[in-house]
Amino acid sequence: MQTLDDRDASGQALPVAGRGNVSEQGVLARIEASVPALRRYAIALLRNRDEADDLVHDCLVRALDKLHTRREDADIRAWLFTIMHHHFISQIRRRRARPTPEPLDESHDNAVGLQPAQEDALHWRDLQRGLALLPEEQRSVILLVSLEDLSYAQAAEVLGVPVGTVMSRLARGRERLRQHTGQDTRAPLRRVK
Amino acid sequence: MSGSDHGIPEDDLHAYVDGQLPPDRHAEVARQLQEQPEAAEQVAAYTEQREALRAASAFIAAEPVPARLALHNLIAGRHAERRIVWRAAAAVLLAILVGGAGGWALRGGIRTTPSDLTLLAQEAIANHVVYTADRRRPTELGAEQRDDLAKWVSNRLGRPVAPPDMASAGFHYMGGRLAATPQGPAGLFMYQNADGKRLTVFVLPMRDASDTPTRTVDVGKMDGCAWIDKGVGYTVVAPVPSKELHDLAVEVRRQLEAPT
Repeated sequence: MQTLDDRDASGQALPVAGRGNVSEQGVLARIEASVPALRRYAIALLRNRDEADDLVHDCLVRALDKLHTRREDADIRAWLFTIMHHHFISQIRRRRARPTPEPLDESHDNAVGLQPAQEDALHWRDLQRGLALLPEEQRSVILLVSLEDLSYAQAAEVLGVPVGTVMSRLARGRERLRQHTGQDTRAPLRRVK
Repeated sequence: MSGSDHGIPEDDLHAYVDGQLPPDRHAEVARQLQEQPEAAEQVAAYTEQREALRAASAFIAAEPVPARLALHNLIAGRHAERRIVWRAAAAVLLAILVGGAGGWALRGGIRTTPSDLTLLAQEAIANHVVYTADRRRPTELGAEQRDDLAKWVSNRLGRPVAPPDMASAGFHYMGGRLAATPQGPAGLFMYQNADGKRLTVFVLPMRDASDTPTRTVDVGKMDGCAWIDKGVGYTVVAPVPSKELHDLAVEVRRQLEAPT
């Protein structure tokens, strides 16, 4: 699998020369550039802005702690998503240990604020509900791949699972989402084989 | 459908949708899809899903990053926190040395939460820097609309808030505005002295925070003097020496806590 991080927009491999410069400033700049994407992922994952920003906050604090272990030419984005995933998982475990009733109702949807004014708002709400119905592991894969453009190999690294698992979660998640959003009702052409 | 057709592997369908196939394989799958309407339907649905997700959430990534997630604030906060932790450690040591009643008395001072104050001061300083630098339109409602602003801010903060009068310290009221923070709306009042130095008083409700003494918080470039009283955080920021800043903050606190 190709890793997107080593390619520029045109899909060309970036020249390796000149990238060995180990500078904390460089790493910081790349972390900073990733914050909007981290927020987007966290908000889509948690569907609650405050919780999402808390998660990003914890992730960044942890990243700053571990800053000295990173090289500028390392895959900073995948690294950050990995940290965030760990925090997310431990959050879930804590919640399971001490469950708090948290209704996923309309008002909760509103807290997210993910409501574009366009006509596809309805479709987005469908998508969002569909996403909420997916097991967390399928949701993470779909978001990392569809939204954050991680390669399958990077997503596998972030989630700590083999690439094959990423593929099967992606397939199951997308299919379930497709059924939920009712795209199948468009009467697929069935042919008699 | 002709019998020689082989289905496209599921993984390749996804990699096709995500643009993760090598170019030749991509072209090959595109060709096969023309002959396999069901697979094509599947690919269309997944592509639509992908695009809908991206379109609907693109604006989040385009939003300005909240102040508390800005790296320079996080880094400054870490430094400030380390200093406060050190001070707290020194206070604990002192408490142990003094022992008994003395230690008990200090306990209240140590138990305050530095992160709340640091967070508060960061928000206040960020707003101070942005709005005082604006020479043409630093406030949203000017000095002549003092009552309107007080009413507006009070409504949004859900509690009565009025700008203190700092004229005795040489700072004349300029006006103010509503400011945005991750914790919700805040009030910002602005003043200026004869030297053109600008002072701001920042008011942010902080429901769960406990009361604190008035304390100087160093957030890198500037100091803020902050405290929390009855669930509301206050910060005074001005480009003056910290002793002077502290005196100004004490005056603000005195006025705001005075029964109206």
